[in-house]
Amino acid sequence: MSAAERVSALRRARPRNRLLRGSLLALAVLTSYSWFAGDFDLAELFNAQRSGNLARFLSVDAMPRPLRDGAEPGELSGWFSEQWSGRGLEAAGLSLAIAVLAIVLAGAAAALLSPFAARTLMICDPYVPHTRHNRACHIGWRALCSVTRLFAVLLRAIPEYVWAFVLLAIFGPNAWPAVLALAIHNAGILGRLGAETIENLPPGPMAAMRAAGAERRHIAAAALFPLALPRFLLLFFYRFETCVRESTVLGMLGVLSLGYWVNEARARLRYDELLFLVALGALLVMAADIASQLARKFVRGEGRSNSSRLDEQLA
Amino acid sequence: MSVRSIGWNPVMKTDPRILRRPPPLGRRGLILLLIVAAAVFAWQGLGLSLGQLGAGNGGGWSLAGDFFGAALSPALHYEAELVPAGTTHFLLRVLESVRATVVFAAAGMSLALVLGLVLGCLASEAWWEGSGRIGTSLRWVLRALIVMMRSVHELLWAVVFLAAFGAAPATAVIAIALPFGGTLAKVFSEMIDEAPRRPSQALLALGATPAQRFLFSLLPSAAPDMASYAFYRFECAVRSAAVMGFFGIPTLGYFLKLSFENLHFREVWTYLYALIAVVLLLEGWSALLRRRFVA
Amino acid sequence: MAAASFMLRGVEVRFGGTQVLREVDLDVVAGERIALVGPSGAGKTTLLRVLNGVVQPTAGHGLMDGTDLSSLRPGELRAWRARVGFVPQDHALVPNLRVVQNVVSGRLGRRGFWSAARSLAFPTRSDLEAAHALLERVGIEEKLYARTDTLSGGQQQRVAIARALFQEPDALLADEPVASVDPARARDLIRLLTELAEERGLTLIASLHDLALAREFFPRVIGLRAGRKVVDGRPASLNEEDVRALYRLEPGHED
Repeated sequence: MSAAERVSALRRARPRNRLLRGSLLALAVLTSYSWFAGDFDLAELFNAQRSGNLARFLSVDAMPRPLRDGAEPGELSGWFSEQWSGRGLEAAGLSLAIAVLAIVLAGAAAALLSPFAARTLMICDPYVPHTRHNRACHIGWRALCSVTRLFAVLLRAIPEYVWAFVLLAIFGPNAWPAVLALAIHNAGILGRLGAETIENLPPGPMAAMRAAGAERRHIAAAALFPLALPRFLLLFFYRFETCVRESTVLGMLGVLSLGYWVNEARARLRYDELLFLVALGALLVMAADIASQLARKFVRGEGRSNSSRLDEQLA
Repeated sequence: MSVRSIGWNPVMKTDPRILRRPPPLGRRGLILLLIVAAAVFAWQGLGLSLGQLGAGNGGGWSLAGDFFGAALSPALHYEAELVPAGTTHFLLRVLESVRATVVFAAAGMSLALVLGLVLGCLASEAWWEGSGRIGTSLRWVLRALIVMMRSVHELLWAVVFLAAFGAAPATAVIAIALPFGGTLAKVFSEMIDEAPRRPSQALLALGATPAQRFLFSLLPSAAPDMASYAFYRFECAVRSAAVMGFFGIPTLGYFLKLSFENLHFREVWTYLYALIAVVLLLEGWSALLRRRFVA
Repeated sequence: MAAASFMLRGVEVRFGGTQVLREVDLDVVAGERIALVGPSGAGKTTLLRVLNGVVQPTAGHGLMDGTDLSSLRPGELRAWRARVGFVPQDHALVPNLRVVQNVVSGRLGRRGFWSAARSLAFPTRSDLEAAHALLERVGIEEKLYARTDTLSGGQQQRVAIARALFQEPDALLADEPVASVDPARARDLIRLLTELAEERGLTLIASLHDLALAREFFPRVIGLRAGRKVVDGRPASLNEEDVRALYRLEPGHED
């Protein structure tokens, strides 16, 4: 066989990932379908009428009202402080409070939920290799684990906005619907991530305790909890930022967070105030992002040390 | 009894640092305490009481009973007594709402992916390596842009675009694409910067340019993680597209809201189960891919 | 193809507060084969990277083929690097690319950006055959299209060698090429490297932990200790005292 033939033979026999190729193809088909199915027309956004709308929005509607009425830019401080103290500050504070309470409730619920969703723990004789399974016992634990996982899926697959919409009809217009909606959705997400964390823990400490005769709950309290806590806190703070993002919009349903005033400004066609509130929401999310990053750094107990940089250079 | 008095080795003195008591509250204990304090503070700020959950709203509880009771028997037909002739079958309408939801999610996500790839590469530390002060400042400008894109929730973007362009379904696509593109860009740039540097250094040693090193070692190394994350975000985009229906786009949320307002809770649950099915399908698909390609 | 020569005069390298190389003088004639020995942290890797033109000496001069590297512009420096094949200790291959792509990436330094992109996505027939021939030479031709991270450590080492040879280099620098393989395979690999250098007329410098291997396969051995050159000569002239001096632990100094 010549070299060229051998290369072609190797090429024909190369390992191919049918799953990957099929998935890429399916996604490509789905994407092109989505653009050509005619559900929306992106080009239409740039026709003359839309451009007119946009130009009007940018040059007139988006301008703070005093400017439109001929005030100098220097005289805007009154408008700003009116927006800020009139409702901006309070609405931002409420959004933040909703997010904080929700993520704490979610974290607590997920901490309870996740051990029951961890496959390494929900077996007849956890952390004991080569054990002989009692069939009924095995099926029982597995069933508990599956039910917990299914429950977590139900919680997280329904968007927080839908939860809030439903809960608003039940609890009426106070902060509970928003808090609970965020808490429910995030409990589902944190529950699943927490379960994965527990499953990925190195089994050594737990196996040692089990070998010393500890029961499941002893293991959970003395080994799982301290081992999983740092990782769990990282997830907690990661989701906190998302919670703040979501809590800014949940107000659109009627809770007095930022979203409520956004809707109200839209109804009055006061787009200058609307943009102010949107920007305020963005600032709140940025602040939460920074806080979350700082908290995660604190949990990890690190800053990147100079010595590790040096190691890299020497390597 | 102090350790010293055990005296199994009277010659050796215990280092006093060992006997010093650890701080009563460790780093993590402190965090837990702060979290609880923040929750109490938030509780007071919101003026909440448990009473609001209970007796205060009797009608609410019966509504809740009706709603969650309907979860066990999702509708297969319209719940309304009278359905005008020629109305599409209920399940077909559910399917159509799912199709529209996926279409808006896929369109928004594909736009977001382009944005995320371009901005993610340009915002990574590795791209500007060795380009001095100009590169660093350009990178900060890009990162600020990314932060602005992703800090505004997609529903708020939708409201802004609605105000700017007037009602058009395409605004929903852009509203999804901007924040999702920003998030992808942020995560992509982090993944590129966390990719192992050794292959890139090997390419440096054989005379490759910075651009070649970026494209042929950092990007391929980070690609599986990036693809996996993008897939996860697609799942989020489906949920977002569904919710956009509350704002008049004909996705799942639009019909769900209609059914709920007509108190047709069994219909609502059919929509919810359809959404859950799509999300689960995507989750299973991405888990399958991850297991095969991301060790 | 002309083999490359190296000349170092009083080379010092300092990373932050750490002095890694001190006053190293070195003359390497084109086509020589040299084993670089010494304990961990003696500066072997850094010395090889100086020769490769990747680390700039803090002080002193490096003349490569008579040219002072510090006088080169970035493009010329890259051209020098492209002439030197470097086999890193940890292979430094991109794990989720195919072997052929990793091998073909060896010629990146000689190609423009777009032609490099094309060669990686759609390698030409001549690239493919050259890569295959090299893999055949290092003994793993059947792995041409395998994903790199499915290979064993020793096989990845061979891919890294093939990548360096695909460069068509004038010198081959190998950093601990046998650190991750078992002793029997280590001999095979060193034999392979020295044979390759001989048949292609390359200058070869390989850093090694194993003095026995160095003695067996290399006509010249250089010993580094704490950044200083302490041994330089034919293996036969290396006496017990030299060896002990090379590996003696300083009191109170571990590693």
